[in-house]
Amino acid sequence: MERGGEHDAEPRRYTFAHAKLPARIRSFPLFRLTAIWEAFRVATSSLRANKLRTSLTLMGIVVGVTAVIAVVTIIKGLDKTVAQTFSSQGSTVFTVSKNPQIIKSREEFIKFNRRKDVTHDDAEAIRRLCTACWRVGIAANAVETVKYADQKAENVRIRGVDPITMFDIDGVTIDAGRIWTESEGGSGREICVVGPDILKNLFNDAAADRAIGQEIRIAGRPYMIIGVLEPLGSIFGFSRDNVVYIPYSTYQKSYGARRSLVIFTQVPEAEELEAAQDQVRTVMRNRRGHTIDDPDDEGFSLETQDVFLNLYGSATSNIYIVTIGVAAVSLVVGGIVVMNIMLVSVTERTKEIGIRKAIGARRKDILTQFLIEAVTVTAIGGAIGVGTGFGLAYVISALIGFPLLISVASAVLGVGVSSVVGIISGLWPAWRAAKLDPIEALRAE
Amino acid sequence: MSSNLTIASPVENMIKATTETNGHDPKSLISMRNIWKTYQMGTEKVHALHGVSFDIPRGEYIAIIGPSGSGKSTLMNLIGCLDTPSQGEYWLNSKNVSEMDDDELARIRNQEVGFVFQTFNLLARATALHNVELPLIYGGIGSSQRREMAKKALDAVDLTERMMHRPNELSGGQRQRVAIARALVNHPSILLADEPTGALDTHTSMEIMDLFERLHSEGNTIIVVTHEHDIAERAHRVISIRDGQIEKDERIR
Repeated sequence: MERGGEHDAEPRRYTFAHAKLPARIRSFPLFRLTAIWEAFRVATSSLRANKLRTSLTLMGIVVGVTAVIAVVTIIKGLDKTVAQTFSSQGSTVFTVSKNPQIIKSREEFIKFNRRKDVTHDDAEAIRRLCTACWRVGIAANAVETVKYADQKAENVRIRGVDPITMFDIDGVTIDAGRIWTESEGGSGREICVVGPDILKNLFNDAAADRAIGQEIRIAGRPYMIIGVLEPLGSIFGFSRDNVVYIPYSTYQKSYGARRSLVIFTQVPEAEELEAAQDQVRTVMRNRRGHTIDDPDDEGFSLETQDVFLNLYGSATSNIYIVTIGVAAVSLVVGGIVVMNIMLVSVTERTKEIGIRKAIGARRKDILTQFLIEAVTVTAIGGAIGVGTGFGLAYVISALIGFPLLISVASAVLGVGVSSVVGIISGLWPAWRAAKLDPIEALRAE
Repeated sequence: MSSNLTIASPVENMIKATTETNGHDPKSLISMRNIWKTYQMGTEKVHALHGVSFDIPRGEYIAIIGPSGSGKSTLMNLIGCLDTPSQGEYWLNSKNVSEMDDDELARIRNQEVGFVFQTFNLLARATALHNVELPLIYGGIGSSQRREMAKKALDAVDLTERMMHRPNELSGGQRQRVAIARALVNHPSILLADEPTGALDTHTSMEIMDLFERLHSEGNTIIVVTHEHDIAERAHRVISIRDGQIEKDERIR
């Protein structure tokens, strides 16, 4: 081989940002593509050489990232469903009822049961006195089995409403047929408007028109279908279309007048909600007076949809916290596993480290090599976790029925966090490799 | 055992006399001045080398011979910049290596020293070509130029056809030639071989020694560390080490 002269054929060296960075930083191998690529090649080839060990090492990271990605994706999907659901009524509706929508304890249950029922008269008073209120209606619910010929639908929500503006307040619209008239509504006639699930369950999914005029039986009493509603879809796996609307006067005939109602009040714009609530609260306080034993209790519950949203929010934030805990534990465990495997790897490859040092690898070259190896393992684990997380979310979203929102940010975060775990758990093994004495290392077998 | 045993011109001796303690001979590629290497073994201090001095000019073919435990491995580690002396000065290519830190030593090993080991010390998972490219990677040389240089080095040891083979697909002699190509690829100042034929049969050993001879005739400075006399006799100058000191330093051809 021809020896070059002293200064000719000096090979060009490729580095980033020649003049601007101080020499110490410039010489760091992270700034040299060549060294990074070499480290990456070494990393992947040694990972390939130990496939079983590599896959076991990945496990902890995969589980952690899968959990986070799946939960984040699912909750984002649910968020969207919830937002859509509640925006159909929006924040313009509030209710007055005897019991709040959520009862947290037995004590509360007993306390609320001592309250006076909310009655038709209360609704009338609100309608008369609340000037900020736009629509006022009453509703009462029961759950029944509904039959048609030999078909049967269970757990159908029977909703007695008055007046017909309750359909607008509920945010439902007619798909076929019609709503009852005001006079029909007051007459106590057995007529009904059904949700699309009734068609599906009792009429073999027949066209809406075919159900009009048919007679179904609710709790043994016959009702004639005069209208069918547009579908609303489901939330958390519960259909919102499994419902039968009947006039409140008819409801009263079946279930008696001595049941507490829920008064629904709607304002035209969300900004007027508070004013309307104040008026309604005043009306109701006057009507309840201090006829109750508990001076701290107003004797009625005035609520908006926020109750649900708050409950939902606190439920999901609890899920988030639990998931972050699970993920943190499995990432820490995964990181320890990676550190352990990297220490084994350093010991196994002592000779290789010696050879590399003998031919000119510096401490930082060896350090970088093993760090990149650790990061490669965990980043692959993170990427797999992102994949399985989205997969899991997809399956669950298909089962429950909510939209799947794939977020690039959470994918990047998943891979990023696992890479950081790689750096942290690779640091010590890499440092041990870097400070090996080349002579000792070459002697290793 | 002092420097008057080295083969040196009177002028060189004069220069040496003036620079004996704190300087070096600027004409020499390697200049060792009163080198000591001391190891702490428990409570005892063991002197692996005591007071070794010699010069090696550029282009020489030299053998360092000695029985095991003589300190020749220690000396080789020092020459190869894998270690620094406890005392004394070592100048390599006009650089004072004895005062360098780890990273500077790595740089010197990369640029100035080409190692050839008894057991070849190739990376098992890498091809011959990639093994030869390795010093260039740590030298920060871009991939296309690196490939070109590595191919040239493999060509110089007649292994062009085998460059995509891994070490376990090569014979012992071929592996050692890959190692020699790796040692030469960065155009080092010295080729430092530690028992280069120790793991080879007689015939292959002769081939490798012929190759060293050729590389020497092409202008490379070659240092072979060995305990075998017939290997040492192929060199032009032999330094014998015994008990951590230079016993003999003679030109034999």
